[in-house]
Amino acid sequence: MRILIVEDDLEASDAMARGLADAGHDCDRAADGEAGLDAARKGGFDVMIVDRMMPRLDGISLVETLRREGDQTPVLFLSALGEVNDRVTGLKAGGDDYLVKPYAFLELIARVEALARRRETGSVQTVLKVGDLEMDLIGRTVHRQGQEIDLQPREFQLLEFMMRHAGQSVTRTMLLEKVWEYHFDPQTNVIDVHISRLRSKIDKGFERAMLQTVRGAGYRLEG
Amino acid sequence: MRLPRIFRTTPFRLTLLFLALFATAASAFLAYVYFTTAREATRRMDREITREMRSLAAAYDRAGVDALNQSLIERAASERPFLYLLMTPTGQRISGSIAASPVDGFSGEPVWTSFSVTETDPAGHTVTRPARGLQEKMRGGEVLFVGADVGEDEAFALKLVRALWANGALVVILGLAGGMLVSRNVSRSMVGLTEVVDAVRNGDLAARAQVRGARDEFDELAMGLNEMLDRLERSMAGHRHAGDAIAHDLRSPLTRLRARLEAALLDVEAGKSDPTEALVQALNDTDGVLKTFGAVLAIARLQAAGSAPDQAPFDPADLARDIAELYEPLCEDKGVEFRSELAGELLVRGNREIIAQALANILDNAVKYTPAGGAIMLRVRRRASGEVEFSVTDTGPGVPEADRIRVVERFVRLESSRNAPGAGLGLALVAAVAEAHEGRLDLDEGPGKVGDAGPGLRVALILPWAG
Repeated sequence: MRILIVEDDLEASDAMARGLADAGHDCDRAADGEAGLDAARKGGFDVMIVDRMMPRLDGISLVETLRREGDQTPVLFLSALGEVNDRVTGLKAGGDDYLVKPYAFLELIARVEALARRRETGSVQTVLKVGDLEMDLIGRTVHRQGQEIDLQPREFQLLEFMMRHAGQSVTRTMLLEKVWEYHFDPQTNVIDVHISRLRSKIDKGFERAMLQTVRGAGYRLEG
Repeated sequence: MRLPRIFRTTPFRLTLLFLALFATAASAFLAYVYFTTAREATRRMDREITREMRSLAAAYDRAGVDALNQSLIERAASERPFLYLLMTPTGQRISGSIAASPVDGFSGEPVWTSFSVTETDPAGHTVTRPARGLQEKMRGGEVLFVGADVGEDEAFALKLVRALWANGALVVILGLAGGMLVSRNVSRSMVGLTEVVDAVRNGDLAARAQVRGARDEFDELAMGLNEMLDRLERSMAGHRHAGDAIAHDLRSPLTRLRARLEAALLDVEAGKSDPTEALVQALNDTDGVLKTFGAVLAIARLQAAGSAPDQAPFDPADLARDIAELYEPLCEDKGVEFRSELAGELLVRGNREIIAQALANILDNAVKYTPAGGAIMLRVRRRASGEVEFSVTDTGPGVPEADRIRVVERFVRLESSRNAPGAGLGLALVAAVAEAHEGRLDLDEGPGKVGDAGPGLRVALILPWAG
């Protein structure tokens, strides 16, 4: 993937670029909003990581400008501002996701990859398939190896999200945000309990476990 | 030029403005009185002159010029107010009380004129007074002039005006004095408030204005000011306390983190251990510090904003169901029975996300402190007072009554729970959320002691009814 990092904190952007390169991605860097806008206009990026507060041109204006010009490249905002309305401002300006500093690096990678993936699967699907697991989005049914699996509505949503991001690490925060739509951080890891219930439903009695725990990051559904 | 202080006060300026308005109105009134009185006097005099002229002309018609002359002489002696002059057709004076007619170029038609008479009064002063006169031609061709001075009537009007002016001057003087008095009074009332503002500006947040008990607008202002200062002081104290508490709560994990890293470095250098484990623990410690930091920030922001942002009406049972769904599996895993009783058709107004977080914190605590075999009950109901109450009751060890206020304060964790995870900010955040929605947080004993369990804790988040 080609990723554009627009961040004025050079040390932070350097660490980010190195980490993303290790994960197999190409990174371009811009140190302020205007340089970022110039780089973005040249095009060819799969995802942009944009800091909200920068000299010369702030991240919000940068993304607003790009969206006005018809550029639909997915944008992940980085910000030290984490209030609910800060997040809403970022998403309204055309951002696709919002990550509050400081963040875990694995969280950043997971979100960047999720954004790129979302772009690839543009067409509307009615059936999701991962390995021998099949989800019918219209009939609201799930089968594994032809055997029906009975899920609660929330478990269904959770599995749908995992299937849409199959093969990728998905963090607990992402699940809480995208499946439950909460943006706070519960003290206890409530998500773990929900995942283990889902796991017992889709993996129990089968040879291979699909829902895997990724150390330090979260979970991954492997086909 | 700097005026003395009393002339610069608002009440004094208002008094001046009033006086100016009053003086303008009074002047207009006086001018009106003067002119109407003067006009009326002239008109009356004209009528009298006309009547005299008619009577003299009648005498002439009856008995001729000699008779007229005779009656003029009689009249001049009888102290009548009129001035007379009888002239031949060519304008030669025949008789009368004035030397010459003030009318120039008499055409023969009756003519009115305004003129003035000069007299020497008994004291020897020369006095000039305005006068009116009528000149007419008699049937035989002789010319008769009858005049009278209107001075008497005009003098009355002038006297009236002078009296009113004097009165006006008195009003102005009294007004100024009154203005100064009011101004001094108001200034005295303001001085206390100004002193408080000055003291606060100089950093003394404990300064308070005196409420005199007059229940006037100054008392209201003073009470408002005091209330504002109370809030400000509480908030400042909160920030100071938060600063101390952050330092305290962040310092210990940071110290631990540093020690661990240092020890790991030494071990790795000596080839004794694999750095991975130390790094994982360091990361976990860092996450803990960040969590504490995030909670402190959330509380500080809510308190700084005063009220929660983006408030909208929503169904509390709906929210409780959502959060219950999130926590129910956790209870089940822990062997804690979870039940809920959610009253429908209620409405509260607030920031749903923030209230959700508060409710999650309460449930989090309940799950954390309730041992296996216990129970947790989530309830939403309308209180008799009309408020909406979210409550979570558990069968954990509870909180002794003496400690209940303390656990709500920032960072306080009871000694007995030192080893449980969490930054100790859970209930402090709930309290901040309650306050940001004009609600409150209540802590009570749970269902009571049963064997080893209990007495439990009942935590209630109470919000105003929005229906």
